[in-house]
Amino acid sequence: MQRLSSLVRKEFIEIRRDRRTLALIVGVPLLLLVVFGYAANFEVQHIATELVEHDSPPVREALSANGHFTVRARVVPDIAAAENDIQHGQVAVAVVVDAQGVPTQVFIDGSNLLIATTAERELTALQHASSGAPHAHVVILYNPTLSSTDFMIPGLIGIIMTQVALVLTALGVVRERERGTIEQLMITPVTKLELMVGKTIPYLIIALFDLVFVLLVSRFLFGVHVRGDVALLFGEAFLFLTATLGMGLMISTLARTQLQATQMSVFVQLPQMLLSGLIFPLAAMPWGVRWISYLLPLTYFAAVARGVMLKGVGITDLWTETIALAVLAVAYVGLAAVRFRKTLD
Amino acid sequence: MTEILAEGVVKAFGRTRVLDGVDLAVPRGELWGVVGADGAGKTTLLRCIAGLLEVDAGRVLPGRPGQSRLGFSQQGFHLYSDLTVDENVAFIGRLYGLDRATLRASAEELLAFAGLSDRGTSLAGELSGGMQQKLTLVCSLLHRPPILLLDEPTTGVDPLSRLEFWDLVEHLHAAGSTVLFASAYFDEVERCDRTVYLDHGRVVAAGTPDELRGDHATLEEAFLELTS
Repeated sequence: MQRLSSLVRKEFIEIRRDRRTLALIVGVPLLLLVVFGYAANFEVQHIATELVEHDSPPVREALSANGHFTVRARVVPDIAAAENDIQHGQVAVAVVVDAQGVPTQVFIDGSNLLIATTAERELTALQHASSGAPHAHVVILYNPTLSSTDFMIPGLIGIIMTQVALVLTALGVVRERERGTIEQLMITPVTKLELMVGKTIPYLIIALFDLVFVLLVSRFLFGVHVRGDVALLFGEAFLFLTATLGMGLMISTLARTQLQATQMSVFVQLPQMLLSGLIFPLAAMPWGVRWISYLLPLTYFAAVARGVMLKGVGITDLWTETIALAVLAVAYVGLAAVRFRKTLD
Repeated sequence: MTEILAEGVVKAFGRTRVLDGVDLAVPRGELWGVVGADGAGKTTLLRCIAGLLEVDAGRVLPGRPGQSRLGFSQQGFHLYSDLTVDENVAFIGRLYGLDRATLRASAEELLAFAGLSDRGTSLAGELSGGMQQKLTLVCSLLHRPPILLLDEPTTGVDPLSRLEFWDLVEHLHAAGSTVLFASAYFDEVERCDRTVYLDHGRVVAAGTPDELRGDHATLEEAFLELTS
């Protein structure tokens, strides 16, 4: 009994003195619980909607009163314009209204599963409520069967690349420090910049190889095609990976052990999964947590991957995401470089 | 001409002053030893001289890492356990910018002298402590630095490997290298041109082994009398 209590006591002394691990053990679950408690919301509101061909105050009123739709003031002239708006992400729902003010057809953006299912469910409920009115024909674009595979795979590609770029980079640098090999390197003429770049390039290459592999598996195992430009997808993936590698390097400068690096990586990866719009739409998140989403590279890459793979959109529709990814890449790599230099000094 | 210099060096970690005004100047081609008990500041002194640590006060030479003139063999094994001997040697040699032919010639000669020629394909992590220490030394000598710092290079090494190791160091010394090493073993500093006694971050005595021994039977006795 004395031996056992001695072992337990020693463990607690070590845990208490390892403040980083202690903070991760206590603080992270608490933070995750609070953040995800707010973020995990399947109830989508403010679905961008437009009327097509004719305006109809009763339709507009019914949609607005439902609480899930935000109807644009502008009425688009024809179905082609509406499809164009959906493809470019301007709206998620387009309701075609005839000259009598009756909805005849509804187009829904199927590239975001939660938005699409919510829109379909609420529109059906609205139609059932207005008994006697002819039922509008619903067309789901880009993912007609509302397949969760089609919806998830583009985002999962980002998750898989994050795993490589974030965790392996962080572990790679911390391992050098733990083994003392980083000091051996600092004796040689290798510069800090060379060391930082040299430690990250292998993981960039591995992550890009993963992208090729995942795209092939998606195509041949799940039948998910890339409708858009593959080169564009790779270019965006490069920006996304650069930002993520920067985050990995940041972790490597904060963690003292590989265990800490792994724990910190989980702390960064979980928000990427839950706050990036991959599962829960950003529109459903309160601003209290949504701002975090805008700091995560996956938020933009998931949108890019869905846009390119499911909708076939080009760079002209992805400027915002591209600029955001570039800004995050510069910011995270820049911050990591400063910290990296300091930790080596 | 002084190749290795510490002039009034002060270095503290937090409130602990590890080096407290250390002075030494090693002329070109000499072999000097720094000896002292654990915690005397030997490793900190060598790391300051190598430029891996910034001094709080004073001046050091060379004082800047990454110079082709300096070779530093650190305490313990700091190479890649999951690379082979040849891969470690090739990796470090390329970081020093050695071309293929120079690297091969240098590696072959040093590995042969260190008795590691037939272990080229062994993983470094599978070598004995003595062999790892010799591999560390080989890697720090690949670029043929004229200045060599050795931090407790034989700690944990068996007696035979220690002898082989010192053969290698004396060979380098005879070839003109300037060597400063730190050690906790007094018998090792018998080999030096001059020895520095370090105690609590201060130089308590310096001189040739004979000068330091004085009337005492051993260097160890002389040191104990000085520091008691």
